[in-house]
Amino acid sequence: MKWIPKFNSSNYLRVIFIIAIFILLFLSSIAYKHNRDLNESSKLLMHTYEINIELERLMSAIKDAETGQRGFMITRNNRFLAPYLYSRDKVNTSFISLKKLTANNPQQKKNLDKLFKLIIQRYVSFENCLKYSAPETYDKRKLDNHMFGGRILMENIRFKVDEMKDIEKVFLEKSLKRYDEEISLGPVFSISLFLAALTFILLAYRQISKDLESLKVYNKKLLISSGLMAESEAIGKFSTWQWDLETDKIDYSDNQFRLLGVQPNIFVPNKDSFMDFVHPDDQEAIAASMEGIINNEELPFIYYKIIQPNNEIRYFKSTGKLLVDQQGSKILLGINFDITDEHLLNIKLQERNNELEKSNKELASFNHVASHDLQEPLRKIQTFISRVSDADKAVMSDSAKEYIVKIETSANRMRVLIDDLLLFSKTNTTKKEFIKSDLNELLENAKSELAVIIDEQNGILQVDNLPKLHVIPYQIEQLFINLIGNSLKYSQPGIAPKINITCEKILSNEYPELMDQPFKKFYKIMFADNGMGFDPQFKENIFVLFQRLHSKTDYPGTGIGLAICKKIVENHKGYITADSEPGRGSVFTVFLPE
Amino acid sequence: MQKNALHILLADDDEDDRLFFKDAFEEVKVQTKVEFVFDGLQLMEHLMNPDTKLPDILFLDLNMPKKTGKECLIEIKKTEHLKNLIIAIYSTSSSDEDIEDTFIEGANIYIKKPSDFNALKKIINEVITLNWHYHTSGLNRDNFLLSLK
Repeated sequence: MKWIPKFNSSNYLRVIFIIAIFILLFLSSIAYKHNRDLNESSKLLMHTYEINIELERLMSAIKDAETGQRGFMITRNNRFLAPYLYSRDKVNTSFISLKKLTANNPQQKKNLDKLFKLIIQRYVSFENCLKYSAPETYDKRKLDNHMFGGRILMENIRFKVDEMKDIEKVFLEKSLKRYDEEISLGPVFSISLFLAALTFILLAYRQISKDLESLKVYNKKLLISSGLMAESEAIGKFSTWQWDLETDKIDYSDNQFRLLGVQPNIFVPNKDSFMDFVHPDDQEAIAASMEGIINNEELPFIYYKIIQPNNEIRYFKSTGKLLVDQQGSKILLGINFDITDEHLLNIKLQERNNELEKSNKELASFNHVASHDLQEPLRKIQTFISRVSDADKAVMSDSAKEYIVKIETSANRMRVLIDDLLLFSKTNTTKKEFIKSDLNELLENAKSELAVIIDEQNGILQVDNLPKLHVIPYQIEQLFINLIGNSLKYSQPGIAPKINITCEKILSNEYPELMDQPFKKFYKIMFADNGMGFDPQFKENIFVLFQRLHSKTDYPGTGIGLAICKKIVENHKGYITADSEPGRGSVFTVFLPE
Repeated sequence: MQKNALHILLADDDEDDRLFFKDAFEEVKVQTKVEFVFDGLQLMEHLMNPDTKLPDILFLDLNMPKKTGKECLIEIKKTEHLKNLIIAIYSTSSSDEDIEDTFIEGANIYIKKPSDFNALKKIINEVITLNWHYHTSGLNRDNFLLSLK
């Protein structure tokens, strides 16, 4: 089923689409991960920021306490002591916040504990300073010591806070860097992936539109060929049908309905509907062949009759084949030919053939009659005449003797006629065995056959070299005998006959009379004599049976010799012509195919 | 009639031919005894009869009613006590087919009935003086058909 186009691109398209879908899924998973990473990093940033702020708050609360304490110690005004008192609450609040924020980080937690101890020490130092600066307990040396110790503690606190800040900063930077790495891989990669997916989709689109185009073209071709099919079915008087063995669905071509003598699609065909049209004589054979086609997958030509609804009988010839398509379903395809015209013609031809055979047989029996039954009485006439002895003749009257002689002459002539006629019919009816023969030899045989007459007339024969050809040897010999004999017979009185036999190879297209022959190369053999010749208006007639140009008293003959020549040359698919002018000799030309 | 007269049998349905044949033998200078049968059936009956003295030469016409000469020839050659009989085919026909067939079936010589009484006498003279042993051993398609020089 070569005419069905193969759309392999459907597989190709499937692959492209699957790849594109995978790329897109991959891209979206990457996008999701980026989103989550971004979220994580902003949370981390926020976390660090909060810790920093809380540390700053802690710091500023302690600074506030220091500033308030100093103001109080200078002015001894209780108003300055308020920030110092509040600062403890602030420190505690910040501390609780920080504790929550660093819960996940053991290092920061440790640092926070250390910081807390430092802050408590700092507050103890505040109390001591307040104590030794009060007028009632004033001690300059101890105050100086505690003031100085407070400053060192303050530096330690700041140092610790900075350390914590640094740790946060390093952690943040590390995390951000990691995310950055992940994200920085992203854009180029995902854009190229996206472009790849796009390319695949574009390719698929191109393939689809290409397939659509070729589908359109095939569709058009299919439309044209189905139209052509329908036309040719109508003209060629044949029809097609399909039988899907899987679904048991049968389709007839429109012409199938017409050949059955009904309108197209007038009924829905099934397994048995065709049988209704088949002639009762043939139903059994058709049923058997239907079985056979399923088993043997092929239906040899079957000939049968159908009856159309108008009771007209048509002759059909059908054949079929089982096809298995790519999907493995089995379909029977069949062709029916309406061969009624050929059938009737055949019958007529057969009749004519029979007639011809009959008339051929009659001709053959005529030949038999001529050869045997006619000869029998003739032979007896001749024998009886030969029995009339000289003694009998002596007592006869002169006229009776003359009649006896005339009867004898006529009987002899009849004998020659019958023999010649037999020879003529033999050139037609005897089997034609073509043997490669040397024509020189055959001519020699002919010459020795005629040797006595040639010697008598002092005839001279000049002969070219003749070819070797596939011929019926005895017929060609007969041809040579007849042609040479003819020349000897019609020689000019008083002049020794001279016959010139020449031969050359020619091409048939140079001779219009040879155009009908299926051969291209011929040998042209010419027999030219110096005899009496004949009027060229008889050049066709001399080859006709029983045609004679001279009276039989002058030149005895039956008028069969040249007719035999023509027959022999025709048997060899050749051609013979004669040319002459009275008194200037004649030329017989024989064309024999190579 | 002498005891050692040549015994000739002619199977021919034609009365005139039998007459010519008889006359010709009477004019031939050899002592002969000539018998006739008129068709193939009669010939076979005659030959199959155990009382029959077999002829020295059987002249057999081909074209006979009831049973043709060819059929007789085949039958004779199939019959043990007849198969060595000398058979001369004596027929009007000189068709290649008849000559070929009778040669193959084992006839000894083929004579075309002549149209001249003197020729007939010559032929008969030739046939009855023929050395059959010599002729049969050297028999071939070319000398099967009797031709007079």
